[in-house]
Amino acid sequence: MIESIAFYMMAGVALGSALLVVTLRNTVHCALFLGLSLAGVAGVFGTLGADFLFASQILIYVGGIAVLMIFAVMLMGRTSDLTLRQVNQEWLAGLLVCAITAVGLWRAAKACLSATASGSPAASTRPLGRLMLGDYAVPFELISLVLTAALLGAIFFTRREAGGRK
Amino acid sequence: MTGINLPAGDAPLPPEKPSAPAAPAAPAAVAPAAPAKNPYPKPVYSKKAGNLLKTRLWPTERWAHPWSQAGYRTAAIQLTVIIGGILLVGAVVDELAGWGDLLYRYLLAGTALLHQEFSARGIPSGPLADPARTAAGLRLGAEVLWTLFKVILVVGVINVNGIWAVWWERKLSAHMQSRLGPMYAGGFHGWAQTILDSIKLLLKEDATPADADRAVHLLAPAVVIVPAILAFAPVLFGTELAAARLDMGALYILAVSGVSVIGVVMAGWASSNKFSLLGGLRAAAQVVSYEIPRIFAVVPIIMFTGSLDLVAIDKAQSGYWLGFLPQWFVFWFPAGPLAFLLFLIASLAETNRVPFDIPEAESELVAGFMTEYSGMKWALFFLAEYAYVLLACFMMAVFFLGGGAAPLPFLGFVPSWIWMLAKAMAMMFVFMWLRWTLPRFRVDQLMDFNWKFMLPWSFAVVAMAGATLLWL
Repeated sequence: MIESIAFYMMAGVALGSALLVVTLRNTVHCALFLGLSLAGVAGVFGTLGADFLFASQILIYVGGIAVLMIFAVMLMGRTSDLTLRQVNQEWLAGLLVCAITAVGLWRAAKACLSATASGSPAASTRPLGRLMLGDYAVPFELISLVLTAALLGAIFFTRREAGGRK
Repeated sequence: MTGINLPAGDAPLPPEKPSAPAAPAAPAAVAPAAPAKNPYPKPVYSKKAGNLLKTRLWPTERWAHPWSQAGYRTAAIQLTVIIGGILLVGAVVDELAGWGDLLYRYLLAGTALLHQEFSARGIPSGPLADPARTAAGLRLGAEVLWTLFKVILVVGVINVNGIWAVWWERKLSAHMQSRLGPMYAGGFHGWAQTILDSIKLLLKEDATPADADRAVHLLAPAVVIVPAILAFAPVLFGTELAAARLDMGALYILAVSGVSVIGVVMAGWASSNKFSLLGGLRAAAQVVSYEIPRIFAVVPIIMFTGSLDLVAIDKAQSGYWLGFLPQWFVFWFPAGPLAFLLFLIASLAETNRVPFDIPEAESELVAGFMTEYSGMKWALFFLAEYAYVLLACFMMAVFFLGGGAAPLPFLGFVPSWIWMLAKAMAMMFVFMWLRWTLPRFRVDQLMDFNWKFMLPWSFAVVAMAGATLLWL
């Protein structure tokens, strides 16, 4: 009962602030609401009893990515960022793409809809670690490699641009 | 809030007596010497109404008054009363715990009786019919009450820490610079200074710049202070003494305490002031960068313990090598001491303290992101800063300094919370010591130091911990 109330509240926070991210005109407000939306997702994890996911979501998304996003918005900001509308005349096409994606996601998620997670917090960190470095060690390492490559690529491109301007 | 009552402005002082009633047994043995000269002028009272007419005292000095009366006997009596009072409060709390059990039993019996009465008269008694359900409801109520109580306790820790740490910092900095610091309010070394300061801050005007983004400006202090309070949930104040025991407590603290920087950036942006904005941007860059080595410095501890649970981390350090050398993680060569140093440096940077205080560098940025704040909002920023200092100190005590374990085996009789508090306070002293000793980094030096020194060494520390575990 209490768990489901908390779950729906958190889901509402995540969805509502996600909607505000794409509709508000002030870019900084959008970035702040993005942080709130990510925190709402963390809350959803928390109410479903996935405590490790909750903490990692807060640590990486709210404390890391959202902060960097706000940082970038403020650093690159122009005056027009505060008043410019986010949608142009192509909104119908955008809505169509969104609708198609949503239908696809709905179909994919339909299979799992009847399964409910228990709201009780279980000690999930240890089995998660064992799985990641045991059964799923190869995919885990592969993802790390891809991320490292992406990081190196980002550094490479930004460095070359800076060198060229000099 | 603090248990200290300001005397009302017009309350009369008790007439001056030499001290408590003298013991009749030996009046001649302790011949009271001439009483020491009272350093304060005598207040003048109205004969009719009894209120204070003329005084050159500040209100706070009326507190100072009884303490300043010379005499070992007065001091002894006051000390006895204080210690007796503490013991009495402890006894009352202990007694109340027993009363709670009694109350629970009475409530259970009462509801059963009510149910009997109701069913005898044919009235439907609803949920009272099932004693197990009633008991479950009572237990839920007790749990909710207990959780609220714990929340209030934790918030109290943060508030009292703010009052204590600001006073301590002012005194320490003063003595390091051959000054005296606050000496006036309250009597003994100006102990009431921060209490009065906080009252002043509550009464101050709360100004918002005309050009500010009002909502964001208003919300920023809340976004800073709320994660600071949340992060204290799993903090250990002694062995197994925490508001909440979380399976991923270490990760939780590190994660939640990183959210505050959003509030700092919000404050910097919403003030519409270039100094504030620069301060906010510097804070964001600094905190996000130093979070990485800070987390990596905790990884060796997690590897040694095999758990993210703070209670398990605390228990893993309770033994002694050779019967006297404590098995604290700071002594686990070579990863332990290095990780401790890295964590200390990164914590200094995370809490924006000198030498890493470029977000609020006075000489460059006025007050950084706090420039446009006043009154209680400004105080909330400071409260959060000191809460984070305390949090870092407790984390160092739990992760590296053995938590509630005694430094020598024969000292095990001292309660664990005393050791924990002593270690945390020692680390807080180190924080303040560094602040008043070192000059400030430049922005580029700060970033270079993080990415070119801290980060590689934090990786090295993790590798060392792995090697230690592999070969030992």
